[in-house]
Amino acid sequence: MPKLPKLPAPPLPAALQEAPPRPSEGKGPSGPLEDAKQAGITVVDWVDERTSLSGATRWLLFRKVPKGTNWFYTLGSATMFAFLSQAVTGVFLAMYYRPDPAGGAYESIRYVTNDVFLGQFVRGMHKWGSSVMVILVFLHMGRTFFFGAYKYPRELNWVIGVVLLILTMVMSFTGYLLPFDQRAYWATIVGVNINGTGPLIGPYLSDFLRGGSEFGATTLSRFYAIHMLLVPGLLAALIGAHLYLVAKLGTSAPPWQKVEKRSELREAEV
Amino acid sequence: MSDKRAKHTSKSKYTLDRQIPGAFEGETVTRRAFMTGTAHTAGAIAATAFTLPALGFAVGPIFKSTPHRWESVGPVDSFSDTNYIPVVMTVTPNIGEAGKTTVYVRKFNPEIDTDPYDRETPYIAISSRCAHLGCPVRWVDAAERFICPCHGGVYDLLGRRVGGPPVRPLDRFYTRVSGEDVEVGPRFSVNSELRRFSPRDPGQPLDGVGQYLYPSRPGAQKL
Amino acid sequence: MNQREKEEYLREYAILKTQGKPFWPYAVAKDSAMACVVMAVIIAMSLVLGAELGPKANPTTTTYVPRPEWYFFFLFEVLRVIKPPSLVPLATIGVPTLCMILLFLLPFYDRGPERRPERRPIATATGIAVIAAMAFLTYQGANAGSPTTIEMSTPSTVTHTGGSSLAEYEAGKKVVAQSGCLACHKIGENGNSGPGPDLSHVGARLYRQAIARTLVNPTAPMPSFKNLPPQKFTAIVNFLSQLK
Repeated sequence: MPKLPKLPAPPLPAALQEAPPRPSEGKGPSGPLEDAKQAGITVVDWVDERTSLSGATRWLLFRKVPKGTNWFYTLGSATMFAFLSQAVTGVFLAMYYRPDPAGGAYESIRYVTNDVFLGQFVRGMHKWGSSVMVILVFLHMGRTFFFGAYKYPRELNWVIGVVLLILTMVMSFTGYLLPFDQRAYWATIVGVNINGTGPLIGPYLSDFLRGGSEFGATTLSRFYAIHMLLVPGLLAALIGAHLYLVAKLGTSAPPWQKVEKRSELREAEV
Repeated sequence: MSDKRAKHTSKSKYTLDRQIPGAFEGETVTRRAFMTGTAHTAGAIAATAFTLPALGFAVGPIFKSTPHRWESVGPVDSFSDTNYIPVVMTVTPNIGEAGKTTVYVRKFNPEIDTDPYDRETPYIAISSRCAHLGCPVRWVDAAERFICPCHGGVYDLLGRRVGGPPVRPLDRFYTRVSGEDVEVGPRFSVNSELRRFSPRDPGQPLDGVGQYLYPSRPGAQKL
Repeated sequence: MNQREKEEYLREYAILKTQGKPFWPYAVAKDSAMACVVMAVIIAMSLVLGAELGPKANPTTTTYVPRPEWYFFFLFEVLRVIKPPSLVPLATIGVPTLCMILLFLLPFYDRGPERRPERRPIATATGIAVIAAMAFLTYQGANAGSPTTIEMSTPSTVTHTGGSSLAEYEAGKKVVAQSGCLACHKIGENGNSGPGPDLSHVGARLYRQAIARTLVNPTAPMPSFKNLPPQKFTAIVNFLSQLK
C-alpha cells in the first residue's frame, strides 16, 4: 500500500493563534543581563557607525594563519606582552621616582623598595621583566632566523625587528642607571665611555648622553627622559608597524609545512 | 593638430618649454605644482620650528665650557714622594657625593718623574678613572701598580700602562701649592710619552692619529 | 629569489593560508596562554628574587668591582679578553656595529628561496655558532673574578697535611690576591693571562728560593716586592711554592 502524504495540520482560528513577537520585544530571554548586552551592542554599533573600525578588526582578527603554526609563533606576542607589563609597572614606578643624583634618586628607590605597599613586588616585576623581555626578543629573533621567516616578502619586518632589538637594549641600558646604586653608576660610566670610543663623533655622543663633559646634575634626568619618554614612544610606534606588517603579509608558515595541492586548487591557479 | 601647434607657438617660449598641458600665456608653474611646493615648504618650516630648538637644547651642553675649579686636598707635608695618598675631591659641584672622585696624590720626585712635562707640577695627581673604560682603579702599594678591576688594566707608578687593554696612561690633574695646602685643579690627559692633552674620555687613545680621531671638546679644556 | 620563485612562494603561502585556521580565536588562545606563562615567570622571579638595591652610588670608591647586568656579560667578556690597546675601539664599537649591520642587512644578502634550516647549512651553522659563542662569553663573563680575590680549591696535598700548612696556604692566598699579582699573572681560573707568566703550577717549576729571589729581583716590568713586611713576603713564597 503506497504511503499517503501526511496531511498538514488544520490551521487554528486566528483568535487562538499566538501573537507574533513584536520587533521591540524580541523572542529570546529577557532581563537585566539581556538589556546590558543590548546596550553594549548599541554602543559598539554607535562607534562603528562613526569609525568603521569593525572592518579593520575583522581584517586583523579573522585573517587565517597558515597550517602548521605552533608554539614557536607565540614568542612575538609574548615579547609584546612583556613590553606592556614593563610599560604599566614603569608608569607606577615613575610616580615615586625622583631623578636627583644628589641622593633623591637612590632614596626614592629605597622608599619604593622598603616602604611602599607592593613596592618591592612592582619594582621586582619591572626589573625581572626587563630580563624576560630581552630573552624573549632574542628567542623571537632566533625563531625568525632559523625558520627563514625574514625572507621575501618579510624583509622590511626583519629590519623593523632589528631596530626593536636595539631599542630594547637601549631601554635596558638607560634603565640601569636609574636606581643609582653602585652597579648602576659604574655600568653607566662604562657604557657611556663605550659610546665615546667611536671615532670623531664618539666624544660628542658621550657628551650628549651625559649632558656635559663630566657626569653631572642633568645626566640622570637625561637618562630618565630617554628611558621613559623617547625610547618607549619609538618602541610603541615600531611595534605597531611590526604588527601591521605581520597582519598584512600574514604569519609565515613553518618551513617544513608541505603544500597539499588539491586538484581543484591547481585548476583554479591555471 | 596643426592649429594646436600654432596656438602653442603664440605663447611665450618659457611656457612652451615647460610643456604644461592647458597652460595660459606666461604660465611657468601650475597651480598644483605651486600648492605642492607650498605644502612641503610650510610643513618643513613648521617641523623645523620645534625640532631645531629641541635639538639645540639637548646638544647645547656639549658646547658649554665649564669653569676650572681648584680644591684644597690637604697640607703639603701629608704627601710623600714615593707613595700615593688617595684624596677625595669634587669634580662636578652641587650634586653631592655623585660629583666627587678619588685622586691619587704624590709629591714630585725628581728621581722618578724625569719627564720634562712633569716638572711643572709640584705634586703628581693621578685620576682613579681607568683609561680603558672608566672603572675605578686601585693603587696596590706592594706591587707599585694601579690595577683596574673591570677588564684587567695595569699601570705603573707614573700611571703608564703596563698590561691590559688601556689605550693611554691614567689621566692627571693640575696641582699647585697655595699657602700650606696642596690644591688640585682641572684634569688633563696624557699620551704614552706623558705629553699633555685636554681631557679626553676613557677609551680614547692619544698616540698617533688618536688625538685627531678623538677631538677635544669645548666642555673639557685643559688649563 | 627571482620573480618566478617569488610568485611560487606567494602561491604556496596562499594555499597554506586557506588551509589554516582563523587567527581569532585559535592563535590568540595560544598567545594568551603564552602571555600567562610569561607573567607567571615574571611574578615568580619578582617574588623569589626580589628587587635588591645595592649600596648607593659612590664615584670615589677604589674597592668596588663593577659588573654589568647579565645580558651584557658577553660584551663585558669581549672587552676583557681583547688586550691590545690598539684593538680597543674595535672591541667596543667596531665588532658590535659590524654585527648590527650584518643583522640589519640579513634579508638583503641571504636572498635564497630556501627556508628550511637543514637546507641552509651556512645560515644555520652561523646562527648556532653565534648562539654558542654568546652563551660561552656570557658564562665566562659571569665567572670573571675580581683581581683582588682568588677562588680556587685548596690542593689535596695541603688539606691532608692540615694544621699550619693549611693556614699558611690560606694566608698566602690572601696576600697574593691583595698584592695585585693577578693583574699580570694567571693562577688557576683567576687573574689575567699576561704580561706575566701563568703561575698555576709555578711550585712545580721553581724552588722556594728561586721564587723568593724572583720576587726581590724580578725582570722588568715586574716590580720588586722586597719592601713587603717579612711575614707577608714569606706567606707569598709559601703559597706560590705550594702551587704544583
